[in-house]
Formats: sequence, structure tokens, C-alpha cells
Amino acid sequence: MWQQIHINKRNSILLLLSMGLVLAALGYIIAAAIGGSPEAGWLGILIASAIWLIMTLVSFTSGDQILLASSRAAPVTPEVHPQLFNIVEEMKIAAGLPKMPKIYIINDPAPNAFATGRNPQNASVAVTAGLLTRLNRDELQGVIAHEVSHIVHRDILFVTLAGVLLGSVVLISQVFLRGMVYSSMSARRYSSRGSSRGGGGQALLMLLAVLLAILAPLFTQLLYFALSRRREYLADAGAARLTRYPEGLASALEKIAQQDIPMESANQVTAPMYIANPLRGKKYLNLYSTHPPIEQRIRILRNMSQGASLADYEQFYRSVTHKAGMIPQSALSKETVSIRPPSTEKTDPSSLNQIRAMGDLMRKVNGFKFLTCPCGVILKIPPNFPTGKAQCPHCGHVLSVS
Amino acid sequence: MNCAVCSNPMITLELDQVETDYCLTCRGIWLDKGELEQLLGDTLQAQQVLQSFQIAQDCKESPRRCPICGKKMEKVLAGPESKTTLLDRCKKGHGLWFDSGELESVLSLGRFDSEGKLPSYLKKMYTRK
Amino acid sequence: MGAIAVLLLIVLIGLILFLLAIIGIYNALVQLRNQADNAWSQIDVQLKRRHDLIPNLVETAKGYMKHERETFEKITEARSQAMGAKNVADAAKAENALTGALSKFMLVVENYPDLKANQNFLALQETLTSTENKIAFARQAYNDQVLLYNNKTQMFPSNIIAGMFGFRKRDSFEIGEAAQRETPKVSF
Repeated sequence: MWQQIHINKRNSILLLLSMGLVLAALGYIIAAAIGGSPEAGWLGILIASAIWLIMTLVSFTSGDQILLASSRAAPVTPEVHPQLFNIVEEMKIAAGLPKMPKIYIINDPAPNAFATGRNPQNASVAVTAGLLTRLNRDELQGVIAHEVSHIVHRDILFVTLAGVLLGSVVLISQVFLRGMVYSSMSARRYSSRGSSRGGGGQALLMLLAVLLAILAPLFTQLLYFALSRRREYLADAGAARLTRYPEGLASALEKIAQQDIPMESANQVTAPMYIANPLRGKKYLNLYSTHPPIEQRIRILRNMSQGASLADYEQFYRSVTHKAGMIPQSALSKETVSIRPPSTEKTDPSSLNQIRAMGDLMRKVNGFKFLTCPCGVILKIPPNFPTGKAQCPHCGHVLSVS
Repeated sequence: MNCAVCSNPMITLELDQVETDYCLTCRGIWLDKGELEQLLGDTLQAQQVLQSFQIAQDCKESPRRCPICGKKMEKVLAGPESKTTLLDRCKKGHGLWFDSGELESVLSLGRFDSEGKLPSYLKKMYTRK
Repeated sequence: MGAIAVLLLIVLIGLILFLLAIIGIYNALVQLRNQADNAWSQIDVQLKRRHDLIPNLVETAKGYMKHERETFEKITEARSQAMGAKNVADAAKAENALTGALSKFMLVVENYPDLKANQNFLALQETLTSTENKIAFARQAYNDQVLLYNNKTQMFPSNIIAGMFGFRKRDSFEIGEAAQRETPKVSF
């Protein structure tokens, strides 16, 4: 089943190489244009590599921490949401992960989720409070299986590396373009012989550099997004097989699609990591979208009524998208994965209960204590509550906080 | 969330699946927007009750700050007569604040329909026998 | 000296490469076998967890479900049979019976709204659901691993190494069929 990891690896390396080439070309042209000689260009490649190296080191040592912190994800204990922990463990067993991923909850009402980390040993899964309160058990399992598939397929490493390259390209282009605007203004003000120095050759180089600085980030982003779309399909296929219940993920995606509140804590670079594009509401070109159309993903999953193997997914991927195959032939072993029956749990909480459940969830994440008074009142005590005792205003009973 | 009067951390109380916020130190009560809607229902009448609160002009009481947005709240009159009670309402619509004892006097004024969910709930929750 | 030395050197390098290849294949086989063992022990862990869970579950539910004595008896009986099984085949048979009894119980529970309102029971029910899932997923993961391992032991050239060092074919764990089959040695 996991053969697509290797295919992924080859595609990823090709993609990362082309992104690296863009970065090097950018460094070369910019430095050559500023220095006025091809020799300076080599120095530019060196500087670009140094920037890339530093950013890679940072993202390898603490990239997941930075990402989790910037998405306002809080680490949680099993007591906060036992079902979430159970489901992650189920998927860990199903996928044969060597270690339980760390689990985070994001304080955001928009339903979404992502996985991050360098490898299966150091992986994290983050889900929003909105997701946890809206989905039932089978749907949550589908989403977690999708994220665990990302971990197994090593997509998390790829996204980190590609994100760094994209970040480097954007950084260098921005610095150069802003520098150009600034220096052209000051040159006009303070120097009259600025343009006479390099002659026509340098002017042409300069033009090329500006053009590249504008186009390179767009091009790199296209590369980044193109592969991340394919990865979403692959993770959906993996999720269907892991859970043996494609309807779970399909119905979760449907619920996620109904919500069009954009996530406050997501941005352009982190967007491809989520299960569904967190920046919906803003309009993008088709080429420029980080995720495949959610309706297509749902339709493929819903068509899988006969089996949940990768070959079953592949078959309906072709019929729904009218595109050539996505999963390499070598990964499509002749296995039959039968669909399991849905779980018996049939609780679909009303929207009012959902709001309260989400509030309680975030209180638990933030360390609130829940005390139940004998009279039936539940006292929710914040972690910074100063005294050790609380009197119930309903019946007068004194409860101990600690 | 901190109390609008004494700035101590407030606790949340849940009874019959309805939440209200309460300050154990000064006994102030905060009803946020969602909680009010839950207790009043979405009926027009309920909205009218809230809208009918008149803003108190030249009031001597110092303004309280909304526990959610921290902005100064406006004083509103909870009764038609001169012996009325002053409540604090967030200008951004985050909710309604009752000082200690204000709840009882609002309820005794009979401005709310005494059979309604809001007064009966608050009476049940906050008035001890 | 030239020609012979060069020939010797080539032979030596060839020999080293050959040895390295054998070591590589051997290590890959060991790794796959360990992964299969590991997957198997996961099934074991989850089955034990289920045994520990049942008394608590029965105790909590009994008070609410007065008319379901038969269901409880079946669960308790299957549990003690599974725990007391002398060999793997008996254990697998008893575990399958237990799975059947528990899934029936879960269906019956839907008729008792009072029980479904009990927080303690809800927590137990979630743990049971999850444990049942973990058993099923662990079986699936074990079968995946066994498939990879068996492929390696049967394909050229690794089948030669496998034959030399005694890496034998494994049976997969089929639900229902498991009772008839000789599954890998494990102590319940």
C-alpha cells in the first residue's frame, strides 16, 4: 500500500530541485544586475543558498513549533477530548505509525485540521475546536485518517521543505524589489551619474532581474500548489483505505464545505497543509488553488461503494475528474478492502449545544476546572481563579476548587 | 474573563444547559449575547424588551467596562419610573451586566413577563430560598 | 604485478559488494519480521484491554438493562472463555464470539435512553467502541505487514537469503477463519 511514498519521493525531489533552481537563478541574476558582472552572480547564488540554509535549519529544528504557535494551537491531554485521542490512536495502529503523533487543538470556530512534523516519529496533528464540535465519530475518524495519511506519505516533510524554498524566494524578491524602489528614488535625488556606470548591458540585466523578482514567487507558488493538490487526493485515498469507510471523510468534507468562515490563523504558506483550504471566501484562480475542488473529492469518495482499496479510489478518481491515473500502477496491489459498517453512535448535536460544547472544549484546553455542585449547577472555574473555594450561588454549597 | 466591577476572574455557571457568568467576589452577573438569545428566544417580543431600555442621560455612576471587549459600557434604564434600576449594556452588543442586587430589583419591577424564560431562569439560578 | 593485482582488487570489491547486498537483504527481512511481530502484539494489547473493560461495562449497564440478562451472560461467558483459552485457535474463536456478543450489546443499548444519558456509561461506551476499532485496525495492519514480509520472502533474490536464514512464510489473520488456522505463537 505504501508504495506511493516512493513515487511521492521522486516527484518531491524533482519539484524541490526546480524550486531550488528558481532560487539560484533569482540569486544569480539579482547579484549580477547589482554588481554589474557575471562574477557577482556567483556570489548571489552563495547568498541565496545561505538564506535558504538558515531557513531550512530553523524549520527543521523548530518549524512545527513555529507553525503550531502561529496557528494558536494548544497541546492537549486525553482528558480534554478522550474521543480525539482514541481516534488518533486507532489511525496510528491502522497505519502502523511508530509513535503517537502529538495532538493539538486550535481555538477557531472554522472546522479544519492539519498535520506537521519532520517524519512519522516527530509528527503532530492539529484540529480546530469547530471541527471537533461539528463532526461525529466516523467523520472525525475520516479527517484524522486523512492527516495520518499525510504523515505516512511524508507530505509533512515535503510541505515544510517546499514552504521554506517558497519563503526564501519570496523574501529575496521582496527585499530586491523594495531596494530597487528605494535606491531609484535616492539615485534620482542624490546622484546624476548613477545610470551611466554600467551601460546598456547592466540595464538589460536590471530589467531581467526585476522581471524575475516579480515572476519567480508566482512560479514557485504554482509548483508548490500543483503538487499539494495531488497530495490531497492521495491522502483522501489513504484515508478511505485506513478507515475502510469512505463515507466518513466524504460527509466530514461536506460539513467543512458548508462553512465558509475563513480561518483567522492561516496564511498563504500554511494553507496547503490544511485538509480543506482555510482561506475560502477569497477568490483564487484555478491554477492557484491549494486544494482540489471539495465537491470532486466528495464525489469520488461517495462513489466507492464496492470497496475502499487504493484501486477503488483510483477508478473513481478517473471517472470523476476525467484525468489520467493519479496513483502509480505499482502501488495498486490486487487487494480487496471491504467497507465496514458505520459506527452505532447517532448523536448529532443541535447548533446551540454545539456552541456550548465548543466553549467547554476551549475552556478545558485552557485549563478551566469543571465542578459539579450537588444541586446540579456546573461551575466552570478559570485557571487564574485566586481562592481555593467557590460558593455555589444557586444553593450556597461551598466547593473546593483545587 | 474578568469582572466589570472588581476585575477578579469570573466563573461560568451552567444549569439546565444554559450558561451565565458570575463574579464570586462582588456577585455581579454577566449575560452575553448568546446567553441572552438563548433565554429570550428569538421572538420579536424578547428583542423589544431589550430595545426598550432607554439610555440614561447624565448619570453619576461611573461607567463599567465590557468584560469581553474592554470598552466602556452605556448605562440603561431598566424601568419606566424614577425609582428605576440602572444596568450596563455593551455598546457593541456583547451583553448585559447586572451589579449585585440589581437583578432582584429588575425582576421586582415586573418589566419582564414573569412567566418568561429569562426571569424565571435568573430567579431560579440566583435567588436562594 | 599490474594485471593480477587489478583482478584481485576487482574480485575483492565484488565480494564486498556481494556481502553488503546480503547484509542489506537480511536486515530488510529482519525489519519486516519485527514490524509484523509488532503489529501482532498490538492485537494482543487491544484484546487484553477489552477483557479489562468488560466487567466495568457490565456493572454499569446492568442496573439499567433488567431484561437483557442473556446478553450479559453471553458477554461474560465469551470473555472468560477467551481469557482461559489454552491455544491460539480457541482464543481466536472465543474472541470472535466476544466481538459478536459486544456488537449485539451495542445495538441493544440504543433502546435504553436512560443508560445513554449516563456520563459514566457514555465514557465506557466510547472506550469500547474505540477498542473494537483498534482490534479491527490492528488486524488489518498485521495483514498488511505480513503481505510485505511474505512478498519479500518469496521474491528473487531475497527468497534465497530468507531460505538460508529460516524466514518462513506467515499466515494472515482472517476474521472468522482465524480459528481454523495456525496463527503465529502468542500467549493470551
